[in-house]
Amino acid sequence: MTILATEGLTKRFPRVTALDRLTVSAGPGVTGLVGANGAGKSTLIKILLGLLPPTEGTATVLGLDPATRALDIRRSVGYMPEHDCLPPDVSATEFTVHMAQMSGLPRSAARERAADTLRHVGLYEERYRPIGGYSTGMRQRVKLAQALVHDPKLVFLDEPTNGLDPQGRDDMLALIRRIGTEFGISVVVTSHLLGELERVCDHVIVIDGGRLLRSSAIGEFTQATRTITVEVEEGRQALADRLTALGQTVTAHGRLLIVETDSPAAFDVVRDAVVDLDLCLVRLEQGRHRIEDVFREEVANV
Amino acid sequence: MSEPSPATAAAQASPAAPTGVIHDIGYRHYEGPRLGRGAALVALTIQSLRGVFGLGRTARAKIMPFLIGGTMMLPAVVSIALMAVVKQRGVAYPSYALIMQAVLAVFLAAQSPYLVAPDLRFRVLPLYLSRPVTTADYIAAKLAAMALAMFLLIAVPLTVLYAGELLVDLDGPPQTKEYFAALATGVIFAVLLASVGVAIASFTPRRGLGVAAVIAVYLLTSAISGVLVGVLMSVSRDSAAAWAWLINPFFLVDAVQVWLFGTSPNNDGGYPEGVGGPVALAAILVVIALSVTALALRYRKAASS
Repeated sequence: MTILATEGLTKRFPRVTALDRLTVSAGPGVTGLVGANGAGKSTLIKILLGLLPPTEGTATVLGLDPATRALDIRRSVGYMPEHDCLPPDVSATEFTVHMAQMSGLPRSAARERAADTLRHVGLYEERYRPIGGYSTGMRQRVKLAQALVHDPKLVFLDEPTNGLDPQGRDDMLALIRRIGTEFGISVVVTSHLLGELERVCDHVIVIDGGRLLRSSAIGEFTQATRTITVEVEEGRQALADRLTALGQTVTAHGRLLIVETDSPAAFDVVRDAVVDLDLCLVRLEQGRHRIEDVFREEVANV
Repeated sequence: MSEPSPATAAAQASPAAPTGVIHDIGYRHYEGPRLGRGAALVALTIQSLRGVFGLGRTARAKIMPFLIGGTMMLPAVVSIALMAVVKQRGVAYPSYALIMQAVLAVFLAAQSPYLVAPDLRFRVLPLYLSRPVTTADYIAAKLAAMALAMFLLIAVPLTVLYAGELLVDLDGPPQTKEYFAALATGVIFAVLLASVGVAIASFTPRRGLGVAAVIAVYLLTSAISGVLVGVLMSVSRDSAAAWAWLINPFFLVDAVQVWLFGTSPNNDGGYPEGVGGPVALAAILVVIALSVTALALRYRKAASS
């Protein structure tokens, strides 16, 4: 099942090309949309919501074309913008109720859903106070609540961790993970911080300069390069020489040796080499590549 | 002891036992009805209309609309008192909005920026547009709210005055025709003023600037009209002076009222004979159309940014 798909999607503004023949697709679950500032993430979301017409190409969201069925899409999609979008003089409750009604919920249902949703995003007594006095973390929660209040099938979260402190960031990411799993709502979340998305996404789409750099399941990102990290107390050079002699590719990273490998047998080779040289083994583990590294490599190859 | 004592078992089973457990019922999906665009439009109109009168807002936001609402009632109250005490009519129905034109203008200037400026300034507009509504729906709701507010401001005192007249029961028939003529004219006032006010206010995200702009337009038209009328009258160009009255939007509507309902003019010297009424009506329609076009263009730009 495809939640959204684009085919050769292009958006040109008078002076800049925001999207350049972008072809991507995403299934249910949490999809990360990664790119530097100005990579075209927000433009893509606006096209998918039917707020901007694409210059070329087609898109589908929940099987509907945003160019013709924008209203139907917006009925079952939630949107949390990147920028501040809250009026200061109303309370979070009133605002969320109003936004639920704007999505077509009857007033009584809107009240009930607003109370539920605000509780889920973690706003309690303070939801009766005017939004003007809220902290950034609370504002982000209200923004998230208004995107979820009409129980959409899909939410677009544009930079939801922007401006949050590390604790708030963790809370927000945990909440996004819950939305994708427990709530059963598909999520498209953008970020320019790749490490964050690694923790919550099932699938990551990397775009740069409006073009697709990579689109794959999160597992493939982390498995993309298989290495073994070895740390020994002394004789690091001797071990490196021995492993090289055995035909392994070894690079030194400070106190660590990174052994590139293609099979689990390499673990045995390293173990035997350490035993033969009579060294003290401190660490022997699967090298975990972070998405940042993949991103960096791909950008370098382009 | 192999079995729990009866007392313990009873305490565990008893629903009255003060357990105080908070149940996390988890996320519940919404299975109820989802209404269409019309319902959203009505919701936005009602929300905006309440806001115009300060309902659901801070106490400070209520001062201005309530003060103006009270002021609008004054002539009606005084007239009813006159009818009751000295058996004499006070303010005529068709004159009501004209006499109170400055008050209506202040209300329009004070409240129309509230409808549009905060949504632009705090960037709430993208949220509205991410809902199943179009920019046209948004504009329609805001215009409807302001027009309804202006109409209430005119119609409520008129209705109170009419009810007063019926209760006091003066000699002769009640002025029912004049009352309904004034109500119908009230609709024209409401739509014209709301369109102009909201259109002007929508061009700035700053409320203060919006207030100043709307009041400036009223003062400017009424001053230009007044000066021209004075000059033309002094050189005995009375027919030209009759046209000059129409520059003021309130007398423009009054000219239509005179033409459509045969009421007596509320200015000195009357309006242009013959084509004056139709021209005034055409001018009103043109101004409304221009305002709505300006709003549509304004929001098309705002939506794509």
